[in-house]
Amino acid sequence: MNCPKTRDQFADYLMGDLDEAAREDVQSHISVCPACRKEIETLSAVWTRLGVLRIEQPTEALRARFYSMLESYKDGIREESRPVERPLGTRSSRLWKAARDFTTFKRPAFAMTFSFALLIAGIGIGYFLSSGGSEQRISDLHREVQDMRQMVAVSLMSQRSASDRLKGVSWTAGLANPGEETLQALLDALDSDPNVNVRLAAVDALYLYRKNPLVRRKVTDSLSVQTSPLVQIALVDFLVGLREQRAAEALKRLVQDEKLNPEVKKRAEQGLERLI
Amino acid sequence: MAPSDNELMEDVRDGRVEKLAILFERYQVVLYNFFLRLTAKPNVSEDLVQEVFIRILKYRAGYLGQSRFVVWMFQIARNVHIDHLRKQKAELPLDAQFEETPAQEPLPDEILESEQNAALIRKALDQLPWRKKEVLVLCRFENLKLREIAELRGCQVGTVKAQIHRALIDLGRIYLELQEGRTT
Repeated sequence: MNCPKTRDQFADYLMGDLDEAAREDVQSHISVCPACRKEIETLSAVWTRLGVLRIEQPTEALRARFYSMLESYKDGIREESRPVERPLGTRSSRLWKAARDFTTFKRPAFAMTFSFALLIAGIGIGYFLSSGGSEQRISDLHREVQDMRQMVAVSLMSQRSASDRLKGVSWTAGLANPGEETLQALLDALDSDPNVNVRLAAVDALYLYRKNPLVRRKVTDSLSVQTSPLVQIALVDFLVGLREQRAAEALKRLVQDEKLNPEVKKRAEQGLERLI
Repeated sequence: MAPSDNELMEDVRDGRVEKLAILFERYQVVLYNFFLRLTAKPNVSEDLVQEVFIRILKYRAGYLGQSRFVVWMFQIARNVHIDHLRKQKAELPLDAQFEETPAQEPLPDEILESEQNAALIRKALDQLPWRKKEVLVLCRFENLKLREIAELRGCQVGTVKAQIHRALIDLGRIYLELQEGRTT
């Protein structure tokens, strides 16, 4: 390979995009050509130096602004889909005005210390009070904050990072009426999240919604698929709290498992005594 | 299995706009760092990330899903940045546009060497013209393939390779100049 051809491959070489053969071609050329060797050494040094730049985190205010914008956009869509006659030309401008209003919202200097929910509630309450509050409006606001909370929770629970998923599970706490999607996300986390801490957090979060028949049934079924003793113990406590026949049957099946951890077995037997 | 970016964006396009929240959670940090490396301003970078998601909603109907979602997203991010530069230029008085960024205080010796290197490379990156800075950020930090960068910049792969080459040479030169300035 000659010099121009080799140099043409340098970007691919640095990015690791060359296959074995092409990489060997570049290496064999630079072993005999001092000029190309010097050049790739210079480029590699800069390339490596760039690696010292750390990944920075944005503030929580960015998340707050995004969800506010998304909510107002959704509201805009809802409003547009209503069968009301409106002069042409105002539709998209209304939608975008609503969304863009939030881009001009500047976060306060101490925004980092604000909790997300407080911020959202603040924006919402400000908006509603300034436009003449009523009970209906306050209840609409409450519903919107709840919707937004669910949206944040569900999207966090689908993230790759376990700490994000954990954050997502904790976001579901305090929802008066979690939607089906939120409950399903929690149940999925309980059954299949690879991280024990997320599964444990999901048990705690689901306990708040133990009156829901779907939650009762799915959590009972989940006992047979869990393998971590920590999660099993948390589920045993959950099922004892349900005080129903189906839960007792699940516990009986569990104690019959010969491979069961002795601590879990003890806890399940104690639980059964309380249930029967 | 978690839905792919493209599937989520197709959902957003088809009206399930709440799915954008998942894409936001996946990419807010990526985009924030992209803008931070280009502008070196945290507040501005957050504003620009927000603007990207607004435009994603605005142009969602035009999403075709032919290439990876990130390529389309960075195309939007790039336009957002270019618009920001234009706006900034229009707003700044003429003398301020040519004003040099104030030199940073000399770094105290006790700061770890890696911190010093990071500060120096950041400063060198800041001094690079934005087009060169952009191509470097895209290939070094955003894990985009050369053909994807070519696609989003609307040029040939060969051109991108040459741009990366030149940008690295220039960055290395600026870095050395800064380093010499610091030691003398």
